[in-house]
Amino acid sequence: MKTLHVLSSSPFSDDRLSSCLRLLGSGDGLLLCGDATYATQPGNSHAEALAALQGVSLYALDEDVQARGLKPAAAIEQIDYPRFVALACAFAKVNTWL
Amino acid sequence: MSHSLLIISRQAPWAGPGAREALDIALAGGAFDLPVGMLFLDDGVLQLALGQAPQAVQQKDLTANLQALPMFGVESLYACAHSLALRGLHETALEVERLDGDGLRALIDRYDQVITL
Repeated sequence: MKTLHVLSSSPFSDDRLSSCLRLLGSGDGLLLCGDATYATQPGNSHAEALAALQGVSLYALDEDVQARGLKPAAAIEQIDYPRFVALACAFAKVNTWL
Repeated sequence: MSHSLLIISRQAPWAGPGAREALDIALAGGAFDLPVGMLFLDDGVLQLALGQAPQAVQQKDLTANLQALPMFGVESLYACAHSLALRGLHETALEVERLDGDGLRALIDRYDQVITL
């Protein structure tokens, strides 16, 4: 029962990302959109935590990444909305961190 | 066979409507005989604190409603041990199973649907 976790708030303003990292299991996915994409900026502590994850697929919504001028590491797949939908269908369930 | 639903409640009790909305979803699910579980995570564990006096801020008693969960068939109640320890909460107003990282991962895997509020 693999889960796609979706985060949209800045990792610098609350603890959703750090809590989510504790819940992620092998085979799960983490999709960052909106201000959550700030976590992908190389050099910040959140990007280091993402790079250290094993067995977790990482995605960032491309338009939000571009809008913010971010340059995510290659390990983070940049996706469009159709791919977002495909991922939501591919995982057994989606957990959106509202 | 109905889908099982895990509700992750991670808002403090008086921070906004989040805590009560998560509880309402759990109670509604229970009333419709859905297999519902509830996990208190992050500030959500503060809902479990003893000795709260919500009338002091003109709010309804959330603890009383939480205690109604088993009556609505919601008996699978969990709390993140890390979140509890971080906030110095040792005793809780509700009987909950405390889970570490592995326990949390296994819990989420076990449910068909997850809602985080």
